[in-house]
Amino acid sequence: MDFLGERVALLVRGNLDLSTGSELETILAAVARNGHHRVVLDLAECDFIDAAGFRVITTAAENLDRLGGELTIRSPSGVVRRLLDLVGPAVVYLFGPPEVATGPLGGLEPVHADGVAVRTAPGGSPSPQHSPVTVAAHNDVVDAALRLVVALACATVEGADGVSVSLRRQALLSTVAASDQTIREMDAGQYATGEGPCVDASIQGQSSHSGSLDTETRWPTFTPIARALGINAILSSPLLANDRPVGALNIYSRTVEAFATKSQHLASVFSAEASTILSEVWLDPVDNEISDRFGAALATRQVIALAQGVTMERDRLDENDAYTALRRFSANSGRPLRERAEDIVASVRWPAPEVSTGTEHRDG
Amino acid sequence: MAEKTTDVLDRARRSAGLSHGELWLRYFELGGMSTALQLEAFLYGALEPTVHDHDVVAHALNERFVELGGNHPIPYLEDRPHGENQDAQ
Repeated sequence: MDFLGERVALLVRGNLDLSTGSELETILAAVARNGHHRVVLDLAECDFIDAAGFRVITTAAENLDRLGGELTIRSPSGVVRRLLDLVGPAVVYLFGPPEVATGPLGGLEPVHADGVAVRTAPGGSPSPQHSPVTVAAHNDVVDAALRLVVALACATVEGADGVSVSLRRQALLSTVAASDQTIREMDAGQYATGEGPCVDASIQGQSSHSGSLDTETRWPTFTPIARALGINAILSSPLLANDRPVGALNIYSRTVEAFATKSQHLASVFSAEASTILSEVWLDPVDNEISDRFGAALATRQVIALAQGVTMERDRLDENDAYTALRRFSANSGRPLRERAEDIVASVRWPAPEVSTGTEHRDG
Repeated sequence: MAEKTTDVLDRARRSAGLSHGELWLRYFELGGMSTALQLEAFLYGALEPTVHDHDVVAHALNERFVELGGNHPIPYLEDRPHGENQDAQ
């Protein structure tokens, strides 16, 4: 799954047949219900489509068309493309119209040169293609993407009665998407008590699962709140931005032991998807390598500026000449300019307690 | 005429194994006032640095060469004999 501006792209892997077709149908319906009516179905890794699979594509294309949207098929294999070409519905775009969306997350990849447009876009003229960029997208775009992840998880994870996404923003956890009000209250209960699977997953970066809150002992303050809201099982999967935990995908159920192995696997797939989205856009200005390096550079710069000032005063030099003097000393001694500057700053002794002006301070 | 001084800087940057960004950070650390984009323009010869700016970049590179076990191979414009740097100010 991917978000290309206002479009949602779904990648289909393996065979699209009766069983996987119904999964795709559920997902496509959830996507449309979430207000995303322009959908790209990427078939680059789809090996085979049977009649049931075609029917899902056809139905989705017609539904999206009715809603004023469109379904675009990207990168089908030769066989699949010929089949779509022959029997595909008229409302399916193959390879996409020329004026692909270029939203904040970047545009579509260049369309294949051998693509066959079943229906051309109205008045479309080619525009420059943009490659995906890794700048911070507007929070709204990210939130819309995460809402979709919530809707998809809710529709496809067996046993799920509600789903939410919590994110750490300005150092506090908050819910950016939730399937309903009870689920928001479940999240809020964990933020307020500072405990619960969502808090654990967000901080530790590891999945936290409670099959039955009846016997749960890890979160004594939060568990009664959850049970009062009718929840009996919780599965929280960590969301990682560039391998650092930044939040959690929380799946709640009223049923004890609702989440079997398959559901847990699906939860990890969805949390990985959400993590990919977040890694694209997450900018954490605190506590990373760049800010450490920049902080060190600023500290050095300040010491050099101080030493420059001391040298100007002591040796009656202008700004540039004072700098040149420091730099020459460094070059001649083979020692970094920073060390020379630190020596000069350290050599300054104030005649405490009275500060007299015009006193000559000379090191040596 | 000798090679342009900014060509020397960019060649030195490459042999010192520094990216434009890393060189800018080192230049900034030593008190450089130009932006990363301006520094890049100096290195490409699109902008002419002041003598002082040139020498801060040169010193950032020279300190890097010392880290690598070398000397101070990049000459400073300020230290050239008088008469040579009339045009550079």
